[in-house]
Amino acid sequence: MSYRCLVCYMTLGYPNDEEFIEFINKSQKEGCDIYEIGIPTKYAKYDGPIIRRSYKKVFDEKIDFIDLLKKLPNIKKLIALTYLEDQINDFDSFLNIIRDKFNGVLLPDLLIDYLDYLDYYHKKINEFGLKNVIFTTPTFPDKLISKVSEMSGEFLYYGLRPTTGIELPISPDALVSRVRGIVNNKLIVGFGLSLNDIKNVLKAGADGIAIGSAFIQRIETNGIDYAIDLVRELRGILDEFK
Amino acid sequence: MVDNEEIVPKVWYNIIPDLPKPLSPPRDPPSSDFSRIELLREIMPKEVLRQQFTVERFVKIPDELKEKYEILGRPTPLMRAKGLEKYLNTPAKIYFKYEGATPTGSHKINTALAQSYFSLEEGITHVVTETGAGQWGTAVAFSSSLFNIESSIFMVKVSYNQKPMRKTIMKLYGAHVYPSPSDLTEVGKKTIKENPDHPGSLGIAMSEAIEFALKNKFKYLVGSVLDVAILHQSIIGLEAINQLNLIGESPDILIGCVGGGSNFGGFAFPFIGNKIGEEFIAVGSKEIPKFSKGEYKYDFADTAGLLPLIKMITLGNNYVPPPIYSGGLRYHGVAPSLSMLIREGIVKWKEYSEKEIYEAAKIFAKTQGIVPAPESAHAIKAVIEKSLELKKNNEKKTIVFNLSGHGLLDLTNYESMMERWS
Ligand SMILES: Cc1ncc(COP(=O)(O)O)c(C=O)c1O
Repeated sequence: MSYRCLVCYMTLGYPNDEEFIEFINKSQKEGCDIYEIGIPTKYAKYDGPIIRRSYKKVFDEKIDFIDLLKKLPNIKKLIALTYLEDQINDFDSFLNIIRDKFNGVLLPDLLIDYLDYLDYYHKKINEFGLKNVIFTTPTFPDKLISKVSEMSGEFLYYGLRPTTGIELPISPDALVSRVRGIVNNKLIVGFGLSLNDIKNVLKAGADGIAIGSAFIQRIETNGIDYAIDLVRELRGILDEFK
Repeated sequence: MVDNEEIVPKVWYNIIPDLPKPLSPPRDPPSSDFSRIELLREIMPKEVLRQQFTVERFVKIPDELKEKYEILGRPTPLMRAKGLEKYLNTPAKIYFKYEGATPTGSHKINTALAQSYFSLEEGITHVVTETGAGQWGTAVAFSSSLFNIESSIFMVKVSYNQKPMRKTIMKLYGAHVYPSPSDLTEVGKKTIKENPDHPGSLGIAMSEAIEFALKNKFKYLVGSVLDVAILHQSIIGLEAINQLNLIGESPDILIGCVGGGSNFGGFAFPFIGNKIGEEFIAVGSKEIPKFSKGEYKYDFADTAGLLPLIKMITLGNNYVPPPIYSGGLRYHGVAPSLSMLIREGIVKWKEYSEKEIYEAAKIFAKTQGIVPAPESAHAIKAVIEKSLELKKNNEKKTIVFNLSGHGLLDLTNYESMMERWS
């Protein structure tokens, strides 16, 4: 048994500037280890309805994202989550903007739509002093998963379902056991991970979990503190596996 | 006699973990205000949906379902086409897997049966689907009757009127058959309002079936294109591998026709996954030139766009296929896994015109006695061409093709082809 990591996803600026910062500060205290900050996009290719609603909300609020990035507290580990497709026209500028506050970037479409350019983008991200946190899914060939698990910075992200926030019927423990055998890096499991799956994926050997839609759903219904309660609960579950 | 146990597999084979590259996930279009993946959860039986997204290489066939596969007469025969070989005077050996030998006359029953079984397991009492030419509808009508489930089939109106025998079979099995567009759904009503004489299309029928299933809390069964249909169809290829082993043959060339890709994938993927064979040829219709003119991109699986976008070789979901007689090939796309294998050069393709496949069907009927489904005749045309090529180079290779269905219920179509092409 070992320390299990809690990765919290939050859409940049959700539900508004202030509460976004508040969520980060409070959740850190309750035991969130790493943040994945979703850069709002008009086309959330792989995201389910809940995260899509959060993007819409921050666009409607006309949040100044660059300004907000500057205001981010100096906290442990921030990873920017964005689709490469959104940044590809000016990837350097994007990396330049985030390099001060963030320590890594996660591009969910890197291996799916840009596999032939993996080495190029990997090098590029590293050149900006950032880690390339690689996103894989169970549909990837085993050989590819084990290859990129060596390259991936911080941890290897393993997205269980084809989309976030929708509980499609799958066998999470079987999926995690299968990759555990081929991944030496830290293995973080997320993407459509439902709260019911958590214990099973931890038992199957995940080093941590990534949660997103559940926080947003709680903020939507009952506000920030309700989401923070969940952070605390999750920390409790993870610590049972210490 | 060989024990069937030696031939019929205990598991289905899933090619997803053996593909050369990651498969792009299904998704919604940018402007979407609802999640089509969430919709899948409402319309598909749970176990079918789980299998759609499974990445296990092998999926167990439940024992009870295996028993039902026996009722279908599985394993279907693997036959040598000596009559055709002789006629072509080719050094090649030609074998075919005969899916026309199932009670409903095509491979479609292999997945219909599985999906009906998983529906029953979940306590579902009524399933819904669409059918164009009638093969898929017939399969669903029979499979649901085997499990005492009710079925409703939306049949494209032109086929409903032109192929009364298909309708009769489905009704004999106990299905409710509705001509589409119908007044049972909003999509149908809207279509009729715009054009009272609308002949219908597979896309509209699909949308009606999905809407009808949603409204009544029934489940929708999927005939092709999605990975789960190919998974269930893998029983064809797995059986064929065992049958070839038993007679000590190792195939060089594997051939099948492609509508959405289910019979080709079901037949060829187990060979590809087991690294048996050197050449794989997918055959389409020249009139629906998806291989030669299609693009590899995200597109809707259905015309109405109720199902998620999938990345595939496609002519576009608004493409209206011309009225060829191979109804089962009148589809705009190709299953994502097969599309990738074609893009990666692992599977080759051919396209033939209706006239060419009509001639091939005639040769096969005359030399082997089997009237092939017009869809399957596309594979036969490729087999003939390949055999003649081997003859020219005096190469003694072994060809195996999938004869996905018989054409005894397509005789009016053959009648029309005779008029059109003689
Ligand atoms: C006999 C037969 N073969 C082939 C097909 C094509 O479909 P698929 O590519 O899914 O096998 C059909 C579809 O209706 C069919 O009925």
